[in-house]
Amino acid sequence: MKAWKVTGIILVAYSMYAGLMSDVPRLVILNETIRNLYFHVPMWFTMIALLGNSLVQSIRFLLSGQDGSKVNLNLDLKAKNFAEVAMIFSLLGLFTGMIWAKATWGTYWTSDPKLNGTAVTLLIYLAYFVLRSSIEDFEKRARLSSVYNVFAFVLMIVFIGILPRMTESLHPGNGGNPAFSNYDLDSGMRMVFYPAVFGWILIGWWISSIRHRLDILKKEK
Amino acid sequence: MLRVKAIKTIFLWDWELEYRRSSGWFISLLFSAIVTFLTSLLIKHPSPNTWLALLWMILIFSALQIANKTFSANEGQYHYINQLVHPLELLIGKSLSSSFSTLLISLLSFLLFSFWIGFPKSSDYSMPLIPLIVSISLGSVALSFTLCFTSAIAAKVDGNASLMSILSIPLLLPTLLVSLRASKLALLGEHIEQIYPLWIGELSLCGLSLALGAILFPYLWRS
Repeated sequence: MKAWKVTGIILVAYSMYAGLMSDVPRLVILNETIRNLYFHVPMWFTMIALLGNSLVQSIRFLLSGQDGSKVNLNLDLKAKNFAEVAMIFSLLGLFTGMIWAKATWGTYWTSDPKLNGTAVTLLIYLAYFVLRSSIEDFEKRARLSSVYNVFAFVLMIVFIGILPRMTESLHPGNGGNPAFSNYDLDSGMRMVFYPAVFGWILIGWWISSIRHRLDILKKEK
Repeated sequence: MLRVKAIKTIFLWDWELEYRRSSGWFISLLFSAIVTFLTSLLIKHPSPNTWLALLWMILIFSALQIANKTFSANEGQYHYINQLVHPLELLIGKSLSSSFSTLLISLLSFLLFSFWIGFPKSSDYSMPLIPLIVSISLGSVALSFTLCFTSAIAAKVDGNASLMSILSIPLLLPTLLVSLRASKLALLGEHIEQIYPLWIGELSLCGLSLALGAILFPYLWRS
């Protein structure tokens, strides 16, 4: 097993153990739910990392046929697999966030820019999968969905990155609410939070590459 | 190198086609008129928020209606066009012509909307109409630029109308939110200084979709 995979396992195992057992700041309303920071936030980092790689693979695919050589369909397959696993992580982030929202805001769902951003991300990538499934020809499918992937990723980043800052929000880090790093992410929490983020990204990457290898084996068969 | 003449030809060609089979234009206009009339029967004296939501729902579906047929020529015609113009010139010409029709239809729907439903009661009578119209115009142009690109994708997948909606509606949300906010401020009679950053936002979203489209369209269009 490669070193980065071992690192991923160790970091996630450590963050799970330390996340539940370590000392956390006592804050009103948040109370013990602050531990969810170690589980909820890494999901989003992982989602963005995987979608980022999906974007890179799509761009590589579009560039691959440039010099008259044959296009590399595997790159597009990789983009699809990374996007699929990213959607799993986005659902996980959504559910962990809903549990947290119920505990602190009193409701599972509110019309918050961050939540809407998640919903839109899910819709965009579901549309991407629908687009893929509605084209029969392999090469055409790869080309059109890569183009859509690039177009959609940029507009999604505009949506989830810029617009929430324009509107008021309950979510930390938006609309005047300070992000955790400003006041209560003390150094003890950082020691668990950052390993959790890196660990989950590695695990997500691993899952995606296994799926990708499986797809290639299926294709060759 | 982009040739202005080619873009102009595509633009004029589109308009001539529209003019010759005027049914296309007429369908879009009638569509918005029917929906607006239906809305006016269903709701009386809406609040500013409801008013804007209804207006933008009508505008977005009219824009979708127009974008659906942006690239609806048959394969043979495109074989011919591709010989003559660069894909970029085609995209820009098409974007301009479809944004122009979207703009016209939006303004006409806005006219009908304010005629049948009126302006919300709570708004000031001295409400400046110009900022509202500017917000709506910029918003609908930004919508049509994004829609033009997704319509090209949908056209490559045999122009399926519902696929077109699935692909484009999530992508329209940034534009829609900025435009909604701009028109809300205009409707509430805010000062121009508070509205114009949002106009810049609408314009930069236009630019963003056009730039992205320009980069990606050549890959999309080669077959």
